Amino acid sequence: MNGPEYIAPANLGDALRIKHERGAQARVIAGGTDLILRMRDKVLAPDLLIDLKNVSLDTISDSDNGIRLGACVTLSQILSEPVITGSYPALAGACREFAGPPIRNRGTLGGNLVNASPAADLVPPLLAYDANLVLASSSAVRELPLTGFFTGPGQTVMAPDEILTEVRLPSMPAPTASVFIKLGQRRSMAISIVNLAIRLTLDDASRVSAARIVLGAVAPTPIRAGASEALLTGQELSGELIALAAKKASRETSAITDVRASKEYREKMTRVLVRRALESIRDELQRSESSG
Amino acid sequence: MAEIDIRMTVNGSVQQLKAGAGRTLLSVLREEAGLTGTKDGCSSGDCGACVVILDGQPVNSCMVLAPQAEGSQITTVEGLAVDDELQPLQRAFAETWAFQCGFCTQGMLMSCHALLMSNLNPTREEILTAISGNLCRCTAYQGVVKAVEQAAAEMRSQDQNRHE
Ligand SMILES: Cc1cc2nc3c(=O)[nH]c(=O)nc-3n(C[C@H](O)[C@H](O)[C@H](O)COP(=O)(O)OP(=O)(O)OC[C@H]3O[C@@H](n4cnc5c(N)ncnc54)[C@H](O)[C@@H]3O)c2cc1C
Ligand code: FES
Ligand code: FES
Repeated sequence: MNGPEYIAPANLGDALRIKHERGAQARVIAGGTDLILRMRDKVLAPDLLIDLKNVSLDTISDSDNGIRLGACVTLSQILSEPVITGSYPALAGACREFAGPPIRNRGTLGGNLVNASPAADLVPPLLAYDANLVLASSSAVRELPLTGFFTGPGQTVMAPDEILTEVRLPSMPAPTASVFIKLGQRRSMAISIVNLAIRLTLDDASRVSAARIVLGAVAPTPIRAGASEALLTGQELSGELIALAAKKASRETSAITDVRASKEYREKMTRVLVRRALESIRDELQRSESSG
Repeated sequence: MAEIDIRMTVNGSVQQLKAGAGRTLLSVLREEAGLTGTKDGCSSGDCGACVVILDGQPVNSCMVLAPQAEGSQITTVEGLAVDDELQPLQRAFAETWAFQCGFCTQGMLMSCHALLMSNLNPTREEILTAISGNLCRCTAYQGVVKAVEQAAAEMRSQDQNRHE
């Protein structure tokens, strides 16, 4: 067996140049928690591994209008970042329910995105917070919304010579509340049967001014339940409206049956979980209204 | 396969190894460094039998390629005892029967050791989180929780004595 070559470039410029020269047969390796399995199972047989460990993409920083996360920040890093646990609780929630500590210490944000699994846990919260991605190649840098990044299971719009360098999250206007819910076969170490993130922002009159309902593992890529979002927008949250929105969201899925669950179970649970998520968001918003 | 030179510090001593880039840290530790205390349960990150401490953090050594660990500090289960004397956590595992067959034990020890390095007063919930990536086929989980609580108490009182 011929194993891959390996290189750990000292900076992003070198990494991009090598990626450009070697193209699709060269694979970036961040944590390796997806790639190592794919190589072992011979799904992927790259001829070169470009390790990003010395390329400084591992910081989380504040910017004028939000935060920036380097593509190589680990799940553990995200979880121990007060800005995220405070202002982006659905993202923190997804990291908390992600595998166990040893995988969280290795797995990265960028790897979770580029791997493009329909069940990737970080994608629903990032979509709910309107994340943008920064992609770099040896000749250009572009910023694009995460919406539209995935084109199918394992497929993205990234060009073979591009590396994901950063994820940007805008600041959330108050009052905003958000949650992440994951349904797996057990609490730790499970791949999601359904995962979802919902974020609602209210206007001065306590009506929904922005609604994001993002569902994972129920379609070829994580999806936004647009009809359900539209139903909520401009309205005051009532129990009746929540029930209706949950029902609508489950109709927007195109789930399949696989080893983890049936299509029907996924659809049913989507409805239940969207309702629970919206109820918990409504309660949180009411609490913050009465205390503030 | 092109072999690469890999230098890492394992249990305090520098190791110079040669391995193909596709080799895992687990296989290099077991087969090149001769440290077979670290176990291979699933080779896919699921069971935790292969957990070692890499630069201060518990990781699955089956989910790390050897060259990724170049230049790092690694502690394996062989590195826990000091001068052949078992440490409080190891003794507590034996005393509370935190295992039956023992296959998961080294991984449990490393995950719990990592927890105690940063937190000498863990709650039950924190202990369960720390071992959530470790499977025990014999279901000795309750014993593990007890062992960590016992070791933490002993280490706290050692700490206090040292400060007095
Ligand atoms: C036991 C176990 C449990 C898991 N549990 C979960 C879970 O609960 N939820 C979940 O969503 N996932 C889970 N995963 C999957 C995996 O851990 C995550 O997807 C993780 O975030 C991948 O990150 P990584 O850095 O390890 O990726 P890698 O394996 O290093 O890379 C994955 C892919 O992305 C590419 N890539 C990585 N970084 C970049 C970059 N910056 N630019 C361009 N390309 C890049 C690589 O070339 C590769 O194709 C689990 C995996 C294991 C083994
Ligand atoms: S052998 Fe590494 S997690 Fe099972
Ligand atoms: S003691 Fe047998 S697997 Fe844990």
